[in-house]
Amino acid sequence: MSQLPPGFRITRETNTDEFFINMGPQHPSTHGALRLTLRMDGETIIELVPHFGYIHRGMEKQAESMTYLQYIALSDRQDYLTAIQNNLGVVIALEKGMNVGVPEKAEYIRVMLQELGRIASHLVFFGCFGGDLGGQTCLLFGFKEREMIHDILEEVTGSRLTTNFFRPGGSRYDVPDTFIPRVKDFLDHLEDSMRDYERFLSKNIIVQERSIGIGVLSKEDAIAYGCSGPVLRASGVEFDVRRANPYSIYDQFDFDIPTAKNGDCYDRYNVRIAEIHESMKILRQCIDKFPKEGAWRSKEKPVRLPVGRYYSEIETAKGLYATYVVAATTGDKPYRIHTRGPSFPHIGALNKMCQGHKISDLVTIMATLDPVIPEIDR
Amino acid sequence: MGIVNFAPKILDPIPGGKYVVNAIDYVVNWARANSIWPLTYGTSCCAIEMMSSSMARYDIARFGSEVFRSSPRQADLFILAGTITRRMAPAIQMLWEQIPGPKYVIAMGACTISGGPFIYDNYSVVRGAQNLIPVDVFVPGCPPRPEALFHGLLTLREKILKETCRSPWHEGEPKDVSTMDRYREAANTWAALERMKDEEMAEARAKFKEENPDYKSTFKPVRLKKEDFPEVERVPFKRLGLTQVELFEKLRAKFPKVTVHTHSEDPIETVVASMPADRPLEVMVEPEEYLSIVEFVKNDPEFKMNYLIDVTAIDYDDHFDMVTQLRSLNIGHKIFLCVQLKKDFSIDEEKRATSLLASVPSISHLYPAAEFKEREVYDMFGINFEGHPDLRRIFLDKDFVGFPLRKDFTHPEMIRRPV
Amino acid sequence: MFVPSITNPIGDFVRDIVPRLAEYLPASIQSDTLNSIVAFLVNALICVIAVCAVNIGSAPILIYMERKVCAHVQCRLGPMRLGWHGTIQTIADVLKMLFKEVYAPSGADKLMFYLAPLIVLIAPFIVCALIPFGRNLVVADVSMGIPLIIAVNGFGVLGILLGGWSSNNKYSLLGALRSGAQMISYEISFAMILLFVVMISGSTNLMSITMGQEGTILDWWIFKIPVLGFIAFILFFISSTAEMNRAPFDIAEAEQELTGGYHTEYNGTPFAMFYLAEYIALVTNSALAVTCFLGGFLPPCIGIAAVDNYLNMVPGVIWFFAKVYFMIWCYMMVRWTFVRPRVDQLMDFEWKFLLPVNLVLLVAGAAYIVVFN
Repeated sequence: MSQLPPGFRITRETNTDEFFINMGPQHPSTHGALRLTLRMDGETIIELVPHFGYIHRGMEKQAESMTYLQYIALSDRQDYLTAIQNNLGVVIALEKGMNVGVPEKAEYIRVMLQELGRIASHLVFFGCFGGDLGGQTCLLFGFKEREMIHDILEEVTGSRLTTNFFRPGGSRYDVPDTFIPRVKDFLDHLEDSMRDYERFLSKNIIVQERSIGIGVLSKEDAIAYGCSGPVLRASGVEFDVRRANPYSIYDQFDFDIPTAKNGDCYDRYNVRIAEIHESMKILRQCIDKFPKEGAWRSKEKPVRLPVGRYYSEIETAKGLYATYVVAATTGDKPYRIHTRGPSFPHIGALNKMCQGHKISDLVTIMATLDPVIPEIDR
Repeated sequence: MGIVNFAPKILDPIPGGKYVVNAIDYVVNWARANSIWPLTYGTSCCAIEMMSSSMARYDIARFGSEVFRSSPRQADLFILAGTITRRMAPAIQMLWEQIPGPKYVIAMGACTISGGPFIYDNYSVVRGAQNLIPVDVFVPGCPPRPEALFHGLLTLREKILKETCRSPWHEGEPKDVSTMDRYREAANTWAALERMKDEEMAEARAKFKEENPDYKSTFKPVRLKKEDFPEVERVPFKRLGLTQVELFEKLRAKFPKVTVHTHSEDPIETVVASMPADRPLEVMVEPEEYLSIVEFVKNDPEFKMNYLIDVTAIDYDDHFDMVTQLRSLNIGHKIFLCVQLKKDFSIDEEKRATSLLASVPSISHLYPAAEFKEREVYDMFGINFEGHPDLRRIFLDKDFVGFPLRKDFTHPEMIRRPV
Repeated sequence: MFVPSITNPIGDFVRDIVPRLAEYLPASIQSDTLNSIVAFLVNALICVIAVCAVNIGSAPILIYMERKVCAHVQCRLGPMRLGWHGTIQTIADVLKMLFKEVYAPSGADKLMFYLAPLIVLIAPFIVCALIPFGRNLVVADVSMGIPLIIAVNGFGVLGILLGGWSSNNKYSLLGALRSGAQMISYEISFAMILLFVVMISGSTNLMSITMGQEGTILDWWIFKIPVLGFIAFILFFISSTAEMNRAPFDIAEAEQELTGGYHTEYNGTPFAMFYLAEYIALVTNSALAVTCFLGGFLPPCIGIAAVDNYLNMVPGVIWFFAKVYFMIWCYMMVRWTFVRPRVDQLMDFEWKFLLPVNLVLLVAGAAYIVVFN
């Protein structure tokens, strides 16, 4: 092959019959509008090149003419599976700029909704992982419990998916009285069903065969490629922003950071499942300590940021979500807002992980990276 | 073209044949309306709600539509779930062309109806799917709930039941545009009723005015009192690792030229010392020294910045600020390196918008993560990275003109947000 | 001469009535040869209609059943709107697919493209003709039934390979090659298990295999030889699932990987044929499993005369279909429970596990026969 398409780098001596496959932008297992070009030798992937931008919506350009509050609504649409967490990422950056504190009750509301969002996202992962391996039933099971979280979110925020809930100094509304009992019910229910689901997938011999030793990402590679969240932790790095750089009131809770050693698909799956249990632990502590009285937001102030650059980072279900706000003039509009989503570096590491594996393994690896494409393209 | 479309041509001239055609119409429409297989397609948020609608709680299977086909050749219905960008548009048209007829399209969500939240100041979003392909049903919402999608599906069903093989889908309009007419009719009836009531009341109103010439309403809207909330002090978390002062001094000992961006007159040391504890240190770096500083902070045992958070840039009038955000996973501190890149104004003014205005060494050999990030900066700002292995546009088409995140960027399709 | 017939009483009845009807014809064209030819043709026509009725009639029922089983496994309801609990949903589906636009992709080999779905349908139809549905209900009671089934089953892979290759699509080609490798490999263990059945029953005729299981439920081949019979049944279940390209061994379709595999480019009626072939294969494979292991059309007698009398009153064909649908239900439950192995793991499983176990099973079966008979 004399001339390779752009992006392909490996030069091979052997003259086997290589061919190229185009996967996406409409493909059931690329998790949205991602396009991958695979260079194949039979069923084996030699290397792949990801092509982004099929859902590039120019959010950062739009943000320059929006107010800060309008941008919170836009952040919902980046990683729609963890919309409530993205809200908090933006809001914390704004709070740093406005120098506004948050009362205790509001912090508890934040932490509880964060963890509910994390469980919801991991349940989607659970479903998609099983579904991408070929077990359609898993997909349904993952979404079944997620609907209950959406019920709670709908009751609190008024919206199922795009919540647009947090504001500098607190949130838009107080939580209803039914919030705590509902979360309690949900946790009891989830504990039972997680036991079933783990038996259904974790111990399944075919799942183990297909995911152990597949898509290994070494510790060094995971750090070098800038992976974060469960992908980084599965490679053996104990890094969680909730611990490493606490925000909200995460320093007051007792929870573990699940890690694994091998960095293969099975470890990434297990880390996510363990994280669901950790989130449930945090939620139970929240329920015990939840203050019944007290203000649910601080004094309302106009959202105007002084000149400067503000940076916040939070741990969403996918990993490190950082917001970088540049205010060039004191006012209610940003000069520039930049978002660092966790999925983008993960897709960067995809090529490294897939080389030498089969095309079926690519599907497994994509599922365990759990990317959300609109968050990459923004 | 389906075989059924020959039926009217053959049967209609025969006496009584049109009843047979009507019967065929009835059966075929019944089958088509009740077995709508959607295509597995989704780009963003709406796709998740589309998935939810096929899951246990909502269960699209009740209407016989759970057979999601991933090949367009076996699908009937194209649910446009999610924003359509200019880059995706050709793919969508191709998919639509590949679906064999009769094919139907549901535009799901605000983005596919009008562009939704992405109407203003946007250079990449197609404002409405109807600009690309014919749409049968629009389902509003951002994203629409699964129930709304079901309503869309049932509306489509109504539409299909009114089709006829005399004017098939690819030749003409269906018999009548059902739902819209019904809604319009309802709206007209409503308006007529209102008008009638108004006329009836006009006399009474005039009479009342005559009797009480100086009547004044005592109605006052009740306003809920806004709750008063206390002001809360923000307590910054203690940062891990070295403090900003230590970081800055250690960096300065090695590279004396680094500074911190400030507007105040104070010496730099005081500015650094007065930073809030949770703000990362952002140092200004000369472009010549940039690569060596990155190498230094990566390998120095006291810094050990082994993790690249992000590479991004900010556009100002005469320069770019390129910010490289680094963090040490082991120690926990962060440092932001801000490189001020002067714009190259030797380029002609008319060519400036489309040409690379600055250049900086690439750090992708130190941090593999930087490869895509630098491509993004190149794509959005037009900054050249020397030594980058694969410098191409990443989010936009390769023939896209201009660099969108520059402040002077213009695009023919862009609508300014009204102030 | 081989005479196709639904043996007795229908075949004999036709052979009996044709000469009697021929007497009404003018005497000049009456002859015994003509009578036998007409009787032959009428019998053949009845056979074809019977096979088609069983096959094509069961496909919509199975598709409906699959959708309902799948839905209930997944805590859903499944089709509900069309007819009582969505019973006529599949009829709407089939009608719709018949009236869809049909076209071949550019660059496709048109002849092969349209021929492939027909070829896929051949194998299950022929196999269906060999299965005894009742004591007197068998289309072709050939003595070499099992070898014929083994031979005919290879047709399916031919159609899939042709379809995948002629579509001019890389996904289709990958799917076709995968399924070619898979089906040819699993053919071997499929044949081996049928050989085991032949060995223990001492006959290659499906009718005599069935009749060999007469008696109580413990005389069925699955229970008659302790442990070995059951192992053989499980192995047959696995290899026939792979043979049919059904999940969890559906790597040839692999929706998540290849968007549909060999039938990616098919639409309308040709696609419906592939869809149909999948379900007809399900019927025939289940029927084969029932015939070879579960006593065919024989009732599950338990050795108590009072109960057995009632069981024997039910016609054999009803027992047969009850067993077939139980088998189909098992196949469906497996499909919606397990995840799909990778293509190389599937081949490893066949060549490194299933085939050796089969060989051991054959030897053990032979030893059993030598020792106990």
